[in-house]
Amino acid sequence: MDKILIIDDDEELCELVSEYLTVEGFEIACVNDGETGLERALSGEYDMAILDVMLPKMNGFDVLRNLREESKLPVIMLTARGDDMERIVGLEIGADDYLPKPFNPRELAARLRAILRRTTIVEDGDEGQEKLDIDGVQLSPASRVAVRDGEELNLTSVEFGLLHELLRDAGKVVKKEDLSETVLERKLSPFDRSLDMHISNLRKKLGARGDGSERIKTIRSVGYIYTVV
Amino acid sequence: MKLFVKIFLWFLAAVALMVCVIIFVTRTFQTDPMVSRTQRSTRNQMQIYGGTANQIVGAEGEAGLRNFLARLRDVEPPREVDLVANDGSVWFGESGDVDDSRELISRTVASGAAETDFSSDDRSVASAPVVFPDGRRFVLVLQWERQSPPPLFWGSTLGYLRLGGLLTTAVILCYLLALYLTSPIRRLREATQKLAGGDLQTRVATRVVRRRDELADLARDFDVMAERIESLITSQQRLTRDISHELRSPLARLNVALEIAKQKSTPDTAAILDRIETESTRLNEMISRLLTLAKLEGGAEDIERRRLDLAEIVRDVAADADFEAQAKGKFVEVSSADSCDVMGSENLLRSAVENVLRNAVRYTDERTVVDVSLSRSNGHAIIKIADHGGGVPDEELPNLFRPFYRVGEARERKTGGIGLGLAIAERAVSAHKGTIKASNSNGGLLVEITLDTAPIAD
Repeated sequence: MDKILIIDDDEELCELVSEYLTVEGFEIACVNDGETGLERALSGEYDMAILDVMLPKMNGFDVLRNLREESKLPVIMLTARGDDMERIVGLEIGADDYLPKPFNPRELAARLRAILRRTTIVEDGDEGQEKLDIDGVQLSPASRVAVRDGEELNLTSVEFGLLHELLRDAGKVVKKEDLSETVLERKLSPFDRSLDMHISNLRKKLGARGDGSERIKTIRSVGYIYTVV
Repeated sequence: MKLFVKIFLWFLAAVALMVCVIIFVTRTFQTDPMVSRTQRSTRNQMQIYGGTANQIVGAEGEAGLRNFLARLRDVEPPREVDLVANDGSVWFGESGDVDDSRELISRTVASGAAETDFSSDDRSVASAPVVFPDGRRFVLVLQWERQSPPPLFWGSTLGYLRLGGLLTTAVILCYLLALYLTSPIRRLREATQKLAGGDLQTRVATRVVRRRDELADLARDFDVMAERIESLITSQQRLTRDISHELRSPLARLNVALEIAKQKSTPDTAAILDRIETESTRLNEMISRLLTLAKLEGGAEDIERRRLDLAEIVRDVAADADFEAQAKGKFVEVSSADSCDVMGSENLLRSAVENVLRNAVRYTDERTVVDVSLSRSNGHAIIKIADHGGGVPDEELPNLFRPFYRVGEARERKTGGIGLGLAIAERAVSAHKGTIKASNSNGGLLVEITLDTAPIAD
């Protein structure tokens, strides 16, 4: 059973979410402040963390920043609704996904599963996942390590998934709908900007080519393309 | 007319009037007494002349008198001297000389004393009775040019200089005075405009406070008012923000509890639980928009600005809106989208266009098209979004951008709007110093967003 750590200062909410997710087949532990949260997240007992931004003692961003120095534990951030900055910052620091709070618990469960599925493929050692080496970028799906010009990139599971899809079809346009379904595991809904945000973060981490050209280009209203030189 | 010009002209008029009054007063109250003093002394002099003439004619006879009268002529200022008999015949002098002075002569005859006539501006006439030893009676008449003081302002270079100097001084003084009075008013006005424009931190006192008059009081009062407005508005904004923030926690719990209830639901409760979920989703949406609105109203200054192509945003949002609209049998069409670079926040501009567009899709009639166009003219990018939903009454147009404003209660409920979309769009557009306005056109509502285009990139 997958062990999930919830770091949120709303005790009642934690209780309710635990109850819901337990029925959905997860094992849940709750902590109510940032410091303890970071400690427990680093303990290695958990498969994933749900992290609220507003926390006593240490806020969610700081917890995530400290966590990312040592661990690749998948994290879903609970950000304030209507606050674009929070989710942009969250994704930049290395959250795997975000969910605006108040959230629909069904969606939370779906995202947990999607991210867990992506990260556990590694352990299953899926044979279909051969290594990719294109344009100075090496991707090994088995270990989920991405390297650019000999330097390891610190990608979140979503970013890794997106890069994997794009590289596999390098030089061809990959539709947004397909990316959303294969990587985020949800249907693309109109006005949903999360895919663009993940891509924009991936672009930043990947960096431009030596000549200044972007590696990933946006084809407006259609999708993205990993350009080949 | 500008207050400055008014005050300036009024002061100038006042100064001019004052000068006139002073000239008039000096004339009546200073020149006239002087004239009457001169008249008195002239009369005394004439009395003496008359007496002397009497003595001379007694002692030296008529020849001696003629001699004396001739000598009188040479005394400065040069005078005409005439001796007129009471019957009017001229004994000495030119007969024509005294024609103008008959009235004075008869007065002298009647009074038997010296008389003067200063009524003419440039001539003075004085007379005295003279009695010959044989009893014949005469009147001695002296006439001379009177030298009036030279006019103050005209007729001479000095006069013109004086006039010029006076005018220049008056103009300079009036200008300074008008400036002194109006400059704090101008500053107050600037401050009021800034305050009205949304800069709530505007204060004036520091710039006017050196004065100690009603204008300084007004400036201080303005500051008190601005302070109050600022605190009212910020506390109202904070309240909106805090309420929305605080509502999120119970709502988050409600969502989870609801989902747990659904896990355990029986077929007869499922429907009502779905209904609860719909309402809670609506509440979610409303709170998130309220927060967006509060954020936009709170800190419009610190938005990130990048160079963006508006056409891409418009096409993107229109494509999404079209997708959404088609589910309801409506369409969104981009009729034109010229490439337009603007400086701004992509998120805000996107949400502005999105909100207006979704609003249009909501109200346009089924099987109609919402038309979107982007054009540029004179440094402006203009986005026009037109629906075919019957429009709104003209008097309601300006209220459309107010939060929670509902044109028709029933209509809004049915279409499931929240009443914040256009308000958010308006705040987002004004954060970019742009304008948004609504009008009725072609049986629908037309919303126009105008933004400044970015300067040409190097």
